[in-house]
Amino acid sequence: MSASYNEVQLDALRELANIGAGTASTALSEMLGRSIDLAVPDVSVLPMADAVDQLGPAEQDITGIMLGVEGELPGTVLMLLTPENAEKICVMLGLEADSELAPSALGEIGNVVGTSYLNALAGMTGIAVEPTPPTTVTDMLGAIVESILAVRAASSDRTLLLDSSLIVEGEDCSIVFLLVPDHGGAEELLDRIGLA
Amino acid sequence: MSDLMARMGELCASGTPGDSLVALGLGSCIGLVLLDRRKGVAGLAHIVLPAAEGHNKELNPLKFADKAVPELIRQVTALGGRKPMFEAILVGGASMFAGAGSTLEVGVRNAAAVKEALAKERIRIHAEDTGGTKGRTVRVDPITGIVTVRKAGSKDEQLYPAVPKTSSHSRVLQEVA
Repeated sequence: MSASYNEVQLDALRELANIGAGTASTALSEMLGRSIDLAVPDVSVLPMADAVDQLGPAEQDITGIMLGVEGELPGTVLMLLTPENAEKICVMLGLEADSELAPSALGEIGNVVGTSYLNALAGMTGIAVEPTPPTTVTDMLGAIVESILAVRAASSDRTLLLDSSLIVEGEDCSIVFLLVPDHGGAEELLDRIGLA
Repeated sequence: MSDLMARMGELCASGTPGDSLVALGLGSCIGLVLLDRRKGVAGLAHIVLPAAEGHNKELNPLKFADKAVPELIRQVTALGGRKPMFEAILVGGASMFAGAGSTLEVGVRNAAAVKEALAKERIRIHAEDTGGTKGRTVRVDPITGIVTVRKAGSKDEQLYPAVPKTSSHSRVLQEVA
């Protein structure tokens, strides 16, 4: 029961990711008061072990902001950034780099950016989604990603990743934005745009 | 000299000098080590979920504790390991997103399922570093049977065999002698 999609479907998902990330970058830009560049989004269906490798070295320290997604597109939104970039973002928000408020400030960034992405998807496809409150952790990349994938490993060996990069202009600071739909989530999206 | 990687749902085994068995960045997953230290062979499984029952039969069975444990025993035995001599070490099973529901449970359930599968095979657990909220990397040297664990933001520490605490007391005695 491995998820498999044809090229047309993958293109459609890529386009949805592009529009979602575009809306998300506008929201981030407003919060930070900076211009945000958007890299072309990547949509891939991978064995879970490869998905971890694709995102970076498994032992690398990374800050992850996670939002659960409930409703008709169950899944997880995960934003990944290096701890150094997390500090830069906090400074842009006017906080001290090592402020105790940093995790909640990052959570709020995640909340606004993630919600705008999801709302854009919802607007285009007519699905109803409900994000859960954000959780921020700094830990090994592999440990964060595999814990999110593990929950859906019960229904598939493979996972769909919708992957976009938000780049803060002139700051050498980027955020990887991931939408990992649960099994069936992407089918629901494709169904709504008539490509299932 | 090579690192043999056990990624999600994979396992590896070796008795070759210079090899290391490695599972990088374990979160809610369990790294299960089986050692026959006298023979100098070891195996490592990267277990993702507790039990295969009730799930699609086409899924990779080795990500489930109940299927991975017998297969790991088979592979270590094939390298000359003797089951009655096996020592088990468990690493991982963290709750990375404390309070965020389902991922919380998986780590705990994984550890319980691996223990149950080991009990069924009558294999004793000699060391364990599980639970908590931190990711872990585990490395095994099959020849010496030394197992080290690195938690996020810390250095490698030897988990097994237990390092005798070199207390300041014993050092003082040596100096006096």
